[in-house]
Amino acid sequence: MFKKILIANRGEIALRVIRACREMNIESVAVHSTADTDALHVKFADQAVCIGPPPSRQSYLNMPQIISAAEVTGADAIHPGYGFLAESPDFAEAVEAAELIWIGPPAAALHAGGDKLEAKRLAAAAGVRTIPEATEPPLIVKAAAGGGGRGMRVVRTRGELEGAVEAAKREAQAAFGDDRVYLERYLERPRHIEVQLLADTHGQVLALGERDCSVQRRHQKVLEESPAPGLDLALRADLLDAAVRFARAIGYVGAGTAEFVVDGDDYFFLELNGRIQVEHPVTEEVTGLDLVQWQLRIARGEKLDAAPTPRDHAVEVRLYAEDPRTFLPQIGRITRLRLPTSIRVDVGVAEGDEIGTSYDPLLAKLIASGRTRAEALDRLRDALAETEVEGVTTNLPFLRWLVDHPELRAGAATTAFLVEQPPLSAPPPAPPAVWRGPLRLNLPSPPPAAPPDEGAAAHLHGPAGAHSNLITAPMPGTVLKVHVSEGTTVTAGEPLVVLEAMKMENSLAAPYDARVRTVHVREGDRVAGGTVLIELES
Amino acid sequence: MAKQGKAKPDEEDRDDSGEPSLVALVRGFAEIVATHGLTELVVDTKDTTLTLRRGLTMAAPMVAAAAPAQAPVHLIHSPPLHATHAASAPVSALAPTPPAPVDDKSHVVTSPFVGTFYRKPNPDSASYVSLHDKVDKGAVLCIIEAMKLMNEIEADVGGTVVAILVEDGVSVEYGQPLFKIAT
Repeated sequence: MFKKILIANRGEIALRVIRACREMNIESVAVHSTADTDALHVKFADQAVCIGPPPSRQSYLNMPQIISAAEVTGADAIHPGYGFLAESPDFAEAVEAAELIWIGPPAAALHAGGDKLEAKRLAAAAGVRTIPEATEPPLIVKAAAGGGGRGMRVVRTRGELEGAVEAAKREAQAAFGDDRVYLERYLERPRHIEVQLLADTHGQVLALGERDCSVQRRHQKVLEESPAPGLDLALRADLLDAAVRFARAIGYVGAGTAEFVVDGDDYFFLELNGRIQVEHPVTEEVTGLDLVQWQLRIARGEKLDAAPTPRDHAVEVRLYAEDPRTFLPQIGRITRLRLPTSIRVDVGVAEGDEIGTSYDPLLAKLIASGRTRAEALDRLRDALAETEVEGVTTNLPFLRWLVDHPELRAGAATTAFLVEQPPLSAPPPAPPAVWRGPLRLNLPSPPPAAPPDEGAAAHLHGPAGAHSNLITAPMPGTVLKVHVSEGTTVTAGEPLVVLEAMKMENSLAAPYDARVRTVHVREGDRVAGGTVLIELES
Repeated sequence: MAKQGKAKPDEEDRDDSGEPSLVALVRGFAEIVATHGLTELVVDTKDTTLTLRRGLTMAAPMVAAAAPAQAPVHLIHSPPLHATHAASAPVSALAPTPPAPVDDKSHVVTSPFVGTFYRKPNPDSASYVSLHDKVDKGAVLCIIEAMKLMNEIEADVGGTVVAILVEDGVSVEYGQPLFKIAT
């Protein structure tokens, strides 16, 4: 039904879609900004069109330019990838108004999924449980239009509530143009488990097993695997069933992911993401299905087959250009890139590429599978040992540390894992059953004094030490609020300064009970990463 | 068409000794260059000039000393980059270069849209402009059709049309050179 697809994205997902097109004998059109003229996705597509300058707003988010590019190249369908315009109902409508095929869920389903309050209401109507509302801490403030952790605030004491709501509203307004927020019970140590869905235009909805994505930093996933280790089979069946019920309730079509939190025997539905997810390869490895090819097949009206039974184990990690301890994005030019050949690697960059600040710093995804979980993790560990990136700081040391961490190996990680186990910290003693070799415990943690790239500004100041009396800016940004003045007595955890950086508000709290000796900044100041903001004295 | 803006480097951007860290400053400026898609950024102070430029040719560095705080920073908005492929060149943050020689004095009008290029308002009309025509700033040069909308493209300088770089009815992309105008 379609012969040529325009891919409104960049990086590894654009390449992934181009590969699916090749395999199905469909021509591909890449779009790119002036910063991406030599990018891999431009080279690999059959055609490429420059759509604007580097800022995403003027290129990868520029709907008229993208639709015009489809028209001048004669493309008959648009695949949005993930991020950018993937879940924009306005874009889905504009694509269809231009008489092009939208490879994604219907605009109405995107509307329903995009508004979290509306999604909660629809879930309740479909008999799917969501996290109960809360008025007493611990609770979490969430933005109705939220995503990617923006506009989210955890509140542990009554005193923090007002400030947290105010901050979440400001951040939500800035990020989404919608300041509606709501309060939910905060679950301290849940697991994040999601269900991969495929729905065709004939009313068939398949649940293709689950993925455990509990290891997260700042609400963003770092490691994903399937099946979820140790998940109770009855609970798993309930999750799959709830995911299908919600998808049916909103008339879902295409690939999607129903996200849940699991807290003991309890589970709660979070949302249905209307896109192909970053971590989709994990499900591809255990089901043998090509999910991107199925997106195209569904868009041209094909019927789904019966769901295959997942087998074996697969695990994915994301290689990012970011600091391995602070997870702050890094810039630079990749002077050397050596990727493993023993496992699946979905890559979006090549040697010589410049990593800037305009786009997501994801470089590649490494996906290992094995008959058992331990085998898959061992293969991933070996593959990470082979991986080399030079010229830009990456999270590679962190990934190596992570895949050998006793708690992860034990299948015990929750969303609090990286808070409780600071990246690259020495792993705690673990039950002997988990130790697969006496030497391994000493390997994962590289010496803290030797970060992989001496150039990164964040490193000049070292990891946030518990003994420091200096509160420094973790990254460049703007001081939004100063809660204290000289002489103020503060208790551990009390917010001192609110810094806005990378479009996120970061509240910097007192690390211990102290008195404020000096305040070095005023509200509205622009500060560099590492700037001393507050000095404390005990 | 160059837009100018001013930014102030962070006064607090100092190293452990209390002095501004050159590496931190340059890194910060390189980030500005990358973020805003600039081709050139000049930091001019009493005793130092720091130039960051995207380009393929490298020449002798011009950094004399760390720039003191509160230096004026001129952001030179990038000209369309497509023609020279300069966009793909690295940000040469640590090896600033002197200005590249300008090849000729003609001004290049580029396409702000992805669409179809038309030299005349309709098939029976005369072209908006022909080679060697004198045009005033603001004169319509062509139409780019995008999503069935006819967008008139105006000359952003006055002068003589010395080259027409695209054929009538052909599709063009963002930043593609359309005309050269000698000023």
